[in-house]
Amino acid sequence: MKPINVTALALAASASSSAFATQYLTVEQAQQVMFPDATGFRDVSLQLTGEQMKQVEKLAGLPARSVAWRVFAAYKGDAQLGYVVLDDVIGKFELISYAVAVNPDASIKQIEILTYRESHGFEIKSPAWRKQFVGKTAAAGLSIGDGIASISGATLSCTHVTDGVRRIAAIAQVALKK
Amino acid sequence: MKKNILAQAVALALMASPLAASASEAELLKRLDKLAAEVEQLKAELAATKKKTDTVEKRQDALAAAPVAPAAVVAASAGTAPAVTAPVSTAAAASPATMLGPNTVLSSYGEVNYTRPRHDSSKSQADVARAVIGITHRFDEKTKMVAEFEWEHAVTSASDKGETEVEQLYVEREFNNGLRAKGGLFLIPAGLLNTNHEPTAYYGVYRNFVETAIIPSTWREAGLGLSQTLDNGITWDTGLTTGFDLSKWDATTTDGRTSPLGSIHQEGQMAKSHDLSVFGALNWRGVPGLLLGGSVFTGKIGQKTPDFAAQDARLTLWDLHARYTPGKWDLSAVYARGTISNTEALNQTFAGNPTPVPSSFYGWYTQAAYQLWKNSDYTLTPFLRYERFNTANSYAAMPAGLAVATGPNEGVWTVGTNFNVGEGVVLKADYQKFKVDTARDRFNLGLGYAF
Repeated sequence: MKPINVTALALAASASSSAFATQYLTVEQAQQVMFPDATGFRDVSLQLTGEQMKQVEKLAGLPARSVAWRVFAAYKGDAQLGYVVLDDVIGKFELISYAVAVNPDASIKQIEILTYRESHGFEIKSPAWRKQFVGKTAAAGLSIGDGIASISGATLSCTHVTDGVRRIAAIAQVALKK
Repeated sequence: MKKNILAQAVALALMASPLAASASEAELLKRLDKLAAEVEQLKAELAATKKKTDTVEKRQDALAAAPVAPAAVVAASAGTAPAVTAPVSTAAAASPATMLGPNTVLSSYGEVNYTRPRHDSSKSQADVARAVIGITHRFDEKTKMVAEFEWEHAVTSASDKGETEVEQLYVEREFNNGLRAKGGLFLIPAGLLNTNHEPTAYYGVYRNFVETAIIPSTWREAGLGLSQTLDNGITWDTGLTTGFDLSKWDATTTDGRTSPLGSIHQEGQMAKSHDLSVFGALNWRGVPGLLLGGSVFTGKIGQKTPDFAAQDARLTLWDLHARYTPGKWDLSAVYARGTISNTEALNQTFAGNPTPVPSSFYGWYTQAAYQLWKNSDYTLTPFLRYERFNTANSYAAMPAGLAVATGPNEGVWTVGTNFNVGEGVVLKADYQKFKVDTARDRFNLGLGYAF
């Protein structure tokens, strides 16, 4: 099983990036930033079963929202380093695209904001805000006011991204954990 | 997946063909024709299935709270079929481009308030204080328009007290380096409340006094603005806009005492623009939960009005603000101060009237709120605020005998609670106690929403 199809990915990512002025990272760039040691990424997108969705809802305290999730597994040679999960949430009015790197043990490795279009709250991109998620699992510390501090003036964006990351942490726990 | 089925069908058919090695050429041709027909049939079936899945996906998307990559459903088989990784990746990676959501978003906020003065219940009052409709339209990835239309106090007509206004109307363009430029009528980034003025965003039924009497929220000006957010958490704003019109000052009423700038603002209404103003704001959010910032706005306000006694009057308003939200706490403080220069001659023409133009006015508040209780989507957040403000802190020197006493340093305690239902609805109750003008002590109830 060949884990690499980076060329195709790169082509795909750059094809979409030209359309984005407010895109800070392409999917491919996010993968490289979050797993700099990886030699390849393989699409392992998920389709949750009904039972898994129920477990996700229980863990995250949120609706699982979707059956299908875009997931890439990061590999260094044959060793799996973790996953990159892609998601979008509505901030206040506009869509925020972000990527979550998950460790094989389902804890959060890193988050990256791919696009942000709201008029306020660009600080959500800042390393200081994103660092709050590192190392946490769906079990604790992934809620606004409980582990994650909000950004004044961008409460909705922060809340929705935080909820999204918690949901992904739960999905990782249920469907990706080794 | 469907491509796979097709490929497998073809492969199977081809693998079967060696068995027919001894068959005649005619038979082979016949078999090929049959195969071709089967392929055609498979194609048709595939198209039908695709159509069906598309419909299902569309329905699923509509059901989902936020848009989700439709392509990802197809991607589910990728794990077991590495051969299709490439096309699936294309779909998955490119999907954000198809997921921008609707280009035009409708938003709204509103508040209905009830007030009962403690010492004179005959002045109890209920008011549809604000009803606002907002439209945001995205022309493309870099360009959008933001508009807010507001009714205050329910009814607007010649014989009613309401107002209808355009609260914001601007176009914003983002450049590749993250620089954002906007033009039109937009909010001045002063204090904490002005750019976050929805009822769900602040504590108490009424907006605080400092950010209504000193900073005249909802404060907007027409002009051009530039801003940028840096990776270290700093956001800077600057711009060139319309300013105030001092010739609107009415020394005979108390409007100027209630809010000096609120009584001479122009709000983009055929605004006198001989003298433009400039502003700058700096906000730092480098530590999660913490905001430290300040702003300055300055400009001449005589506007070259004919026969006006204060052509050189200049307004400068500045503020410092901080907000810290560790855990369940929400702590904030604002200090704002305004000065108006060169008002001596004008104030002399107002001699005998109760409200000359102040040379300085200021206010500050501190506020603490704590999320006491949360159950599913209900949250109860009591708060306490103390503010101190003086809308007529000083006057330019007047000839002996003509001087008017400066305004009092009013102090107001507000204690109450916000009760949120989800993130869009808030019920509020509070009590306000005035240090100087005790006749204003009052109980307030409010209902607000924002989306």
